[in-house]
Formats: sequence, structure tokens, C-alpha cells
Amino acid sequence: MTPHAPIPTRPGLPRWALGLTVFVLLVGGVYVASNLSGTNPAIAAGPSASPGAGGGGGAAAMALINQAGCKACHGPDLGGVPPTFPNLHGLQSGPSVDNLKQLGQQHPKDWMNIWITGTDPAVSNPAMRKGMPVFGGPPYNLTPQQIDTIVKYLLTLK
Amino acid sequence: MTRKLRPYDQPPKRKRTLIPNAPDSAAGLFLVVAILWLLAAATLGILAAGERLFPDVLKFSFSVPLGRGINIDISRATVDPAFVDALVFGWLTNAAFAAVFFITPRLTGRRLMSDAVANMGLAAWNLALAAGIALLYVKGASSVGSLAEFPWPVKGLALLGLLAVNGAFWRTLLPIGGLPYISLLYFGIGLLALLGLFALASIPSVISLGATNDQLLWAFTARGIITYWVLGATLGALYYVIPRVTRNPLYSGGLALLAFIGWLAFAGLSAIGALIDPSVPYAITSLGQAGTLLLLAPTFLAIANLLATVSGRWSLILSPGTMQFAVAGLAFLFVSAMLESVGALRSVQGLTAGTDWALGVLVLGLLGGSTLALYAFADHAFPRILRRSWSEGFVVHAQLWTAFAGAALAGLGMVGAGLVQGSLQAQGTSPDQLDLTLLAFRLVAAGGIGLVALSGFALLVNVFLLYTEGPPVEYALPPAEAASAAAG
Repeated sequence: MTPHAPIPTRPGLPRWALGLTVFVLLVGGVYVASNLSGTNPAIAAGPSASPGAGGGGGAAAMALINQAGCKACHGPDLGGVPPTFPNLHGLQSGPSVDNLKQLGQQHPKDWMNIWITGTDPAVSNPAMRKGMPVFGGPPYNLTPQQIDTIVKYLLTLK
Repeated sequence: MTRKLRPYDQPPKRKRTLIPNAPDSAAGLFLVVAILWLLAAATLGILAAGERLFPDVLKFSFSVPLGRGINIDISRATVDPAFVDALVFGWLTNAAFAAVFFITPRLTGRRLMSDAVANMGLAAWNLALAAGIALLYVKGASSVGSLAEFPWPVKGLALLGLLAVNGAFWRTLLPIGGLPYISLLYFGIGLLALLGLFALASIPSVISLGATNDQLLWAFTARGIITYWVLGATLGALYYVIPRVTRNPLYSGGLALLAFIGWLAFAGLSAIGALIDPSVPYAITSLGQAGTLLLLAPTFLAIANLLATVSGRWSLILSPGTMQFAVAGLAFLFVSAMLESVGALRSVQGLTAGTDWALGVLVLGLLGGSTLALYAFADHAFPRILRRSWSEGFVVHAQLWTAFAGAALAGLGMVGAGLVQGSLQAQGTSPDQLDLTLLAFRLVAAGGIGLVALSGFALLVNVFLLYTEGPPVEYALPPAEAASAAAG
């Protein structure tokens, strides 16, 4: 037979506990009321959702990708939404879409950097220079080093 | 004249069954298996921290010439989920199952129905877990969802294990009339939630709901498993251990019930807060985030109730053992609940998204709060399961301080790294500079997880010493007038 004895419990509920509960419920209500409208960011894939993400550089690249909003078009796993938004996996052997293949042949080493920043970086309007749409003003004003980080990371996605 | 029997002519002294069915056998086995998983989880944790420091050195990819060839990938992408799975499903879940099977008979006065079924659950659950974690390293064999990566046959076996555990618990509890003690309420809801959420997380393995919906479902179930199961089982164990050790009655039954109802409501809302995607209405996500904010209240009420229960017996925390673990666990639980609440605010999420912040808060809660609470339970339960008493020694001190310092360093190191990373990213710092700045934080986190591994090893050594050298002792029913002081 298992030794058994109930645990005695004092009855009653302290008033401060009720007060605290009401206060916290009010805080929660105020928070919800002040956050009723807006748009959520795209779901952030966990570390396991980024095969080939290489350590600190990979984490930094993922943070930049989240910050730049790449997932808004290319999907939460960067798998693309064909035919409009190409898959960003498996780019090691070159561009996967026809309109970029010529760019890939002309610039086999840095075609992805050009693809992201646009074919004519001197043009300030991102839509005019045909770069990535989100590569415009703040907070998407990525430095060349940051784009390098993203490119290196994308090249690890299989 | 009598002829002496040869050894093999003698009848066996006791019947041994393939599946143990002795009282407390399930609790004891789950606890021992849990400690082994803690060592495995801590080792994976050190590797995961190392992956952040030396990503290129610790990255291995090779093919095993078996059949058409099996591609093995050891990198951050595979080590991170293996660490979290081993920690949550291996160490914490097995230890919590042990708590359920140890505490339930002692509070209901009924033998567990049955230890054999619970032990079958143990076998199924742990086989599935070991297979699932091994398959994480095989390319293409696993999914990518948090706490839901295992392929469907493995999930099926794990679900069978969960069904057996639920069956053994509910068949013991249901015949008892009236409202059970608060620990059993937490265990009941926690076990049902674990079964339901695990089953829900298995749906995309059979029918994909689309990439985004699968991710959302996994985010919801992973958050629910932490808030309902891990937090519920932790509180349930503490509600039992602290009154038993202090021999005081629980400070307030009403407070315990209010905290339980709050937890029941807000833990579910908090899981909804994980649904962050443009396809989810903004207000729904905000409501879920408010749930995480509000979850602070029931957690705080439960902690206050338990600390008030210690009243008059504070001297117990001066001697090594159960109460030191329990109070340290409560402290970590409070800190992690505070950080969870702060981190739920959209303004904070804007800074910490994609950084180590979330993992750091999780580590503080799981390696700090829940681990220390379950250490308290193990310290209380092992002598009663093995019928031997602890001998005071250096190892108990080592277990407490390495766990305490390790969880604090690992958690705060990651939280700090998250804040620094978020701030520097907002200033446009280059990734190389960022990685260099975060190096110190990541070294601290790796060291912290290493210390927790040492604490798990200390617990294992302590249990071995208890089993081999501890003086035998009987835990009998206490006299009626001191029933609360209690046995068990």
C-alpha cells in the first residue's frame, strides 16, 4: 500500500489576490484595445526551418531577411510563390527563372547581389532600377555587406 | 536424510515480469530515464552553443552507405531542434511523468492503475523520442516545425505512449469523487493538453495544410506544450513538494484555485499569441499576446501561495536538499514569467525578433524554473522510491549551484545577446561586427549550459550513491494527528 495522506489546505482567498487579478485583467484589456489594427509580420521560421543556416552568420542573415521583409513575397520558408515570386532554394547553380538567366551568365559570381540591389544602383527609385521592391528607404536600406551576408546564406539553401 | 537441492532446482524467490508492475516502478523508471535525457540534452545544448561560436568548424555532412545512401547533416539547423526536443520531451516530460505517477497514488490513496501500462508508455514514448531525434540528422527524414519535427510513424508511437500515460493517470483519478488536490488538477489538464497538442501537431505529417498554415499550427502547439504541459506539471509538482517538506498546510486553497483558473484560460490565449502572420487577424494575435502578458498573474499568484506556505519553516532552505531546489526554481519561474510578459509586447518583439532573446527566456524557464522544481521533486521522491535516505555531501551542493549558476548564465547570456543583437541591427551594424560583439554572450551561454550538464551528472552520481550506499529507511504512514506532515 502506498503511504497516503492528503495535504491540508487553508480555506479563503486573500483580497490582494483579487485586486491583483482585476488590475492585470485591466492591463491586458488596455493592451488589446490599443493593438486592434495593423498587419502582422510574416511568420518567422525557427532555426530548424532554415536548412544549411550556418551559425552566427546564418542567424544574422535570417534576421536581415526578416527585417527586410523578403518573406512577404518569397514565403515563410523562402520557397517562393510560383510563378510570380521565385523559389530562393537551390540557387547554387544559377538563376531558376528565365528572365534572370542572362544576368547569371554575364555575372556568374555576383548576379544575386545585382538582382537584389537592381541593375542600376545609381537610380534611387527601387522600382525604376528593377531591384527587389522592398530594397527602398529605411528600414530596408541594406549595406553591401548586409546584402553579401544574405547572398551567402541563400547560397546554402538546398 | 535430505538431499541438498542444486541451485537450478530451487524455485525462484520471486516472480519477475517482463514489464515491471511494482508500486512506484513507473515513477522510478521515468525519473532515471529523465536524468539520462537531461545529460543528452545538455550535451546537445553545448553543441548548439558551439554551433553559434564556430559554425564552420562544427558543421558536418556525410553519407552513410546504407541502401541508396543516407545523408547525415550535423549543423545548427539539426542540433538546435534536437536540443529543444531532448530538453522538453526527454528530460522535462519524463521527469514530469515521474511526478504524476509518484504523486497521484499518494494524494488519492489508490495504487496506480497500472504501473505496467505506465511502463509501456515509458517504453513507447522514449523509443519514439530517441528515434525522432536520431532522424533529425538524416536529411529529408523530418519536418521543420518546432517540437513537431518527427516523421509520422515516430509521432504515432509517441502518441501511443502518451495514451498509455493518460490512461494510467485517469484510471487512478476518476474513481475519486469530489475536487482533487490542486496538483492533480494541473497534472490532469497538462496531460490532456500534451496529448491533444501533440496529436494536433501531427496533422501536417499526414495532410499538409500549406506551408504557412503548417508553420502556424506548429508555432501554436509548441507554445501550448510549454504553457499547458511544462508550466502546469512544474506547478503541480511544487504544490505537492513544498507542503510535504515544510509540513505546513497550503497557504490558501482559494488562491490556488484562482491561479489554476487563470492559468487554464491564459495558457491557451498565450498559445494564440504565437500566430504571427499577415494571414492571422492582427487583433487575434494581440489577444494572444495579452494572454502571455496576463499569464504572469496566475504564475505570480501560485508562487506567492507557495512562498506563503513556507512561512515559519524558512530555516529549511539553509540545509541542502528539496527546499533549496524548490525556492530556487520559484525564483527562476518568476524571472522567466516576467521576461515572457515583457517579450510579448509588440514594441519589444520589434527589437528582439530573429534574435537569441526568445531562446534565452525559454532556457531560463526550462533549465532554470522547471529543472530546479523537478530537481526538488527528485530529491523528495528518490529516497521514498528506493527506501533509502540521502547522505549529505558535496554532490548535493554541487548539483544545486551548478544548476543555478548554469541556468542563470545560459539564460541571461542569450537574453543579453538578443537585446544587443536587436539594438545593433537597428543601427545597421554589419553582420561580421555583430557576430564579433555577440561572441562574449555566446561563450557565457555555452558555459552555462555546460554547468547545467554538470548538475545533471551530479544528480546521477547522487542517485547512484543513494542506491548503493544510502542507509535503508521505511517511510511509514504518519500518526493521525500529524497526517499533514506526511509520508510519501
